[in-house]
Amino acid sequence: MENKAHPALLVLFTVFAAIGVAFTAVSTHDYIAHLDRQVHSVSCSALPGLGTPDSTGESGCYAVMMSPYSALMRDVTWGGIPIALLGLSVFAYLVFLGLSMLLRRAPGRPEEMGYMVAAASLPVLTSIYYWYISVAEIGTVCTNCGGIYLASFGCLGAAIGLFVVARRSPDPERPHGLAWPLYMGQFVLGVVFVFVPLFFYLGIKPMVSTAISRCGELLQPEDKYRIQIPLGGSVGGTPAIEIIDPLCPACKGFKDRLRSSDFDSKLSLTGVLFPLDKTCNWMLSESPHPGACQVSQAVLCAGNNASAVIDWALLNNEKLRALGASDPAKLDATIREQFPAVANCIGKPAVKAQINKSLRWLVANAVPIMTPQLYIRGKRLCAEDSDLGLEFALSQLIAGTSVAARTQEVPQ
Amino acid sequence: MKHLITQGVLGVLTLSIVVISVSSWTSSAARRADAVRSVGEGQKVAVAAVADEGYCSAELKVILRRVLTSCGLIKEGQVSRGCEPLQAKNVAAMSGADFNALFRPLADRAAIIQFDQGKTELDASAIDFLDRTFSDQRGASYFFVVSRASPDGSTETNRTLSEGRANAVLAHLRQRFNDPDLDKEVGLLWLGEEFAQLEDEYCGWKRSRGDQPCSAAELNRSAFIAWIDCRL
Repeated sequence: MENKAHPALLVLFTVFAAIGVAFTAVSTHDYIAHLDRQVHSVSCSALPGLGTPDSTGESGCYAVMMSPYSALMRDVTWGGIPIALLGLSVFAYLVFLGLSMLLRRAPGRPEEMGYMVAAASLPVLTSIYYWYISVAEIGTVCTNCGGIYLASFGCLGAAIGLFVVARRSPDPERPHGLAWPLYMGQFVLGVVFVFVPLFFYLGIKPMVSTAISRCGELLQPEDKYRIQIPLGGSVGGTPAIEIIDPLCPACKGFKDRLRSSDFDSKLSLTGVLFPLDKTCNWMLSESPHPGACQVSQAVLCAGNNASAVIDWALLNNEKLRALGASDPAKLDATIREQFPAVANCIGKPAVKAQINKSLRWLVANAVPIMTPQLYIRGKRLCAEDSDLGLEFALSQLIAGTSVAARTQEVPQ
Repeated sequence: MKHLITQGVLGVLTLSIVVISVSSWTSSAARRADAVRSVGEGQKVAVAAVADEGYCSAELKVILRRVLTSCGLIKEGQVSRGCEPLQAKNVAAMSGADFNALFRPLADRAAIIQFDQGKTELDASAIDFLDRTFSDQRGASYFFVVSRASPDGSTETNRTLSEGRANAVLAHLRQRFNDPDLDKEVGLLWLGEEFAQLEDEYCGWKRSRGDQPCSAAELNRSAFIAWIDCRL
């Protein structure tokens, strides 16, 4: 019996690898597009690259891409190394392996097929790990990721089939000997496939070190009005001030992002309230977050329990905003019911004056009218650095390095 | 050998496609980042600022600045604060009616704290009015307290009485609000009976004794308080 790798299985292997290339290429492209620190739509379709792009950030693909798990070494370089890029390299290598076998038209040795099984196991193991992360940590599974999982398992299935066929069809003429040199040669080739694109990516990607320190700083950070509220973090952590609106959805997202990055444990975080609600904020002609003034009063009234009120408000921000817009009295009752301890304080002149002092602290510091904002050692984290570049920007601001003196600068 | 060459060509080809794609996407992002950076540096964003309402005309600002400077609000290190009647008259450089007219746009922001005849103590209603008015600062930068006395009694007594009323307001604010900016925010003018007496038209404004009859005499046993939403 002729010991040839089963052509159909080889074709299947190559097709699945090509599917993997298509999905990882789309993910890599979308990730790299965001390295300009702007917001772009992302492709999230069962047909990679086709379908309506997600421009609202509501898709699972966007959530996964913005999660801290989508890249490695994010604290070392802005945006880090996207997992999708490594996936693209691995699938391209698998395509190469499949095509190489198909073009050779020679008997497939069990050792070679065994190596293909090992090579195809890498994306499968990665897929299993990331599927768990998606479900358990991020709470969503993206369509692109689903395509990558399918391609991974398809490749492994085909490789196992090839291995079984090769084992059942021993070729008396095939050379016997140690398989390790073969494995090592192929492994080195795989490493080349991974590292060459990575090298180009790191060499060309935009470097944003200087931009990180150019988003402003606090002019008078001291708490002379006693309006700053403890928001947690570690006692000996780097002093940081978050400007927050308790009904701001972006503040909820930022809080979650900070927590998942583990950087919240490196900061000693205090908050300054900036309700974007015109009932108490004279800087606005409209109220983006109606009801924020009432909730902010509850936060200040809660004293040491302020962060519990903020957590509750952020969690229910949509519902509370709707109440604030339609029925402020009901919002007031909801707050009082949820936090009876603050019932005798909210609405009183003293706490209204405190809200005003909070806003005047913001005036004294000439901060932009937006939430959230994070200031590390008085320097503002740029809004553009609050997603993919969060870890890198925070590392830089926490370290307090003279970014201008760094060698990792904008290429001339 | 032929297989090795084929494999080599295939490897280079596959790898090149990946490298060219990744390089193209990345350099495109780098170009955009540079473009955004150069545009962004010239952009201004709205920043938090104090209020500057429509009624803050250039003329009003001139008068306010003059009053604030002369009455110790803007000058640093002043021990005494406030303007006496003659001082206020000279500083304002206008008639009493014109002086009162300056405050007409503040009808929604002002309150009149009323006192008993010959007294300087704040009653419960006055305290409530004062607290509510002061805590409604919004974006205002200056809090004016303009106290008066009715023409009953001697001019000297009324001058002292109106000064006592202005100081009673300031003392309460200091004790209640513990505001580190208080001395920079609050301006006192005590006018006695000599300058800018309030006319009956002010009976319609928010008064701490709004439920009681109002005459010019009762209206002037008072401290007129208001936040001024002007940026000087």
